[in-house]
Amino acid sequence: MDDPRQLSGKAAIAGVGLSRFGRVPGTSAMGFALEASASAIADSGIAKSEIDGVLVLMPAQMGEQHGWASRVAVHLGLAPAFCSTMDMGGASAIGMMQTAAALVHAGVCKAVLCAFGSQTNPQGILPTMFGSQFAIPYGDVGAMPFMAHVGRRQMHEIGITSEQYGAIAVAFRKHASRNPLAQKRDPMTLADHQASRWIVEPLHLLDCCLVTDGGGAIVVTSTERARDLRHGAAKLAGFGQVHSSEIVHPDRHEAGIGGGREAGDQAWRMAGLGPADVDVVQLYDGFTPLVVHSLIVYGFCRPDEVGAFVSAGELEFDRGRLPTNTAGGLLSEGHLSGFNHVVEAVRQLRGTSTSQVPDVEVSMVTGYGGAPHEAPPTVAYTVAILTR
Amino acid sequence: MFKIDKPLPMPTEESAPFWEGTRRGELRAQRCDDCGHLRWPPAAICPICLSGRHEWVRLSGRGKVHSWIVVHKSQHPAFWGDPFNVAIVELDEGPRLHTNLVDVDLAAIRIGLPVEVAFDPQNDEITLPRFKPAA
Repeated sequence: MDDPRQLSGKAAIAGVGLSRFGRVPGTSAMGFALEASASAIADSGIAKSEIDGVLVLMPAQMGEQHGWASRVAVHLGLAPAFCSTMDMGGASAIGMMQTAAALVHAGVCKAVLCAFGSQTNPQGILPTMFGSQFAIPYGDVGAMPFMAHVGRRQMHEIGITSEQYGAIAVAFRKHASRNPLAQKRDPMTLADHQASRWIVEPLHLLDCCLVTDGGGAIVVTSTERARDLRHGAAKLAGFGQVHSSEIVHPDRHEAGIGGGREAGDQAWRMAGLGPADVDVVQLYDGFTPLVVHSLIVYGFCRPDEVGAFVSAGELEFDRGRLPTNTAGGLLSEGHLSGFNHVVEAVRQLRGTSTSQVPDVEVSMVTGYGGAPHEAPPTVAYTVAILTR
Repeated sequence: MFKIDKPLPMPTEESAPFWEGTRRGELRAQRCDDCGHLRWPPAAICPICLSGRHEWVRLSGRGKVHSWIVVHKSQHPAFWGDPFNVAIVELDEGPRLHTNLVDVDLAAIRIGLPVEVAFDPQNDEITLPRFKPAA
């Protein structure tokens, strides 16, 4: 599109929903996707018959299962004009909202359901080990080693310390302790963070997200239609995405750390807004180094100031300049692949968060996901700017 | 109890020449015939110019540590046990490889440490390139 501002504010989130979540044995990914979908549709107040698009995130660790989105649509008794399974991991919730906005703008769909469900230990299916023949034989398996490398480089390049990572985890736990739905509500101190066991050095256990069974869903429609619905419109003022492989891939290596910057730039340009306009943000926090990275690439902090920024409590909802992950994030609320971040971003606009920031006009949310364990490691960054 | 073997590479059409090289004590990468780009990891198509034409060239096997971590808890049961290092080595020619550092104390590992390849045969077909401090 020549001018991304054409799409700004044309589509909106009309409803959001979460299923039960936490460690919920004996359940199914499909069950959670349906539970969350019904909740989001009820939240929006839209008639089921108006939903003519369905986008669903392929659950991780489910092995090869075809037609996931179509199956969700059939289970919900929908007959969509467009239906697709998407596969960008934790970047997908926002990627789906972008796709939904484009479908609505193009006239292909009137209202699009974006959904996700995950069961971390589905009965009868062994978790598949994703594979790179150039990483796994050395024991570099999954997201934790990848993010530990990111942390090591941050420590080397900008002098970030483990205690500064700890300040991030402590801030998000403070928010989670106020959220009755959160998986981890016990208070956490910096000393608790430092004393938690190593997972992959330089990351402690409390630098890592939770393991969660559950689901989430979002209903996207035109802003015009959303305005007539139960909660009004949470407008999609801006969005962007970019796919890259910094850290390991030298071909796209930028000076310093840079991955994701383009996603933010697209979103800022589309919304006609900048970092200083943001009242509250939900940053995709699979691991604490990703929060540091996001604060830099989305323009909130210079690399040399980010450590002091997080240590000064600037992420906390009641005393910080940038209230962040106000429901507790993936680190303490639960890992719902970023759907919980979108839900919380909407709550902040509606004024219904358990750690509410006053008078929110601009609510930002980011996503991150992909295949950090493949060769080359490949990740997707997504950004959405929501306004009233 | 049962033992789960550590996973070894299963070479594909794109990667077989690399693993054939390590078996012979050579570290190799593809150089694009059309634009000269040295690419890593092995792939069918050049990410710069999209040409499929390439030759395999021998690399120096020398580089420096770009990143290093210590795995205490792996997602993969074959790697459960004592903590071990994983490094990313940036070769002098540019590519960055995942590997393990050998013949070195954890306390001596640092970013920028000069290293050289140390070939570690696993069976008749697969030899993993690990790295040790440069002589």
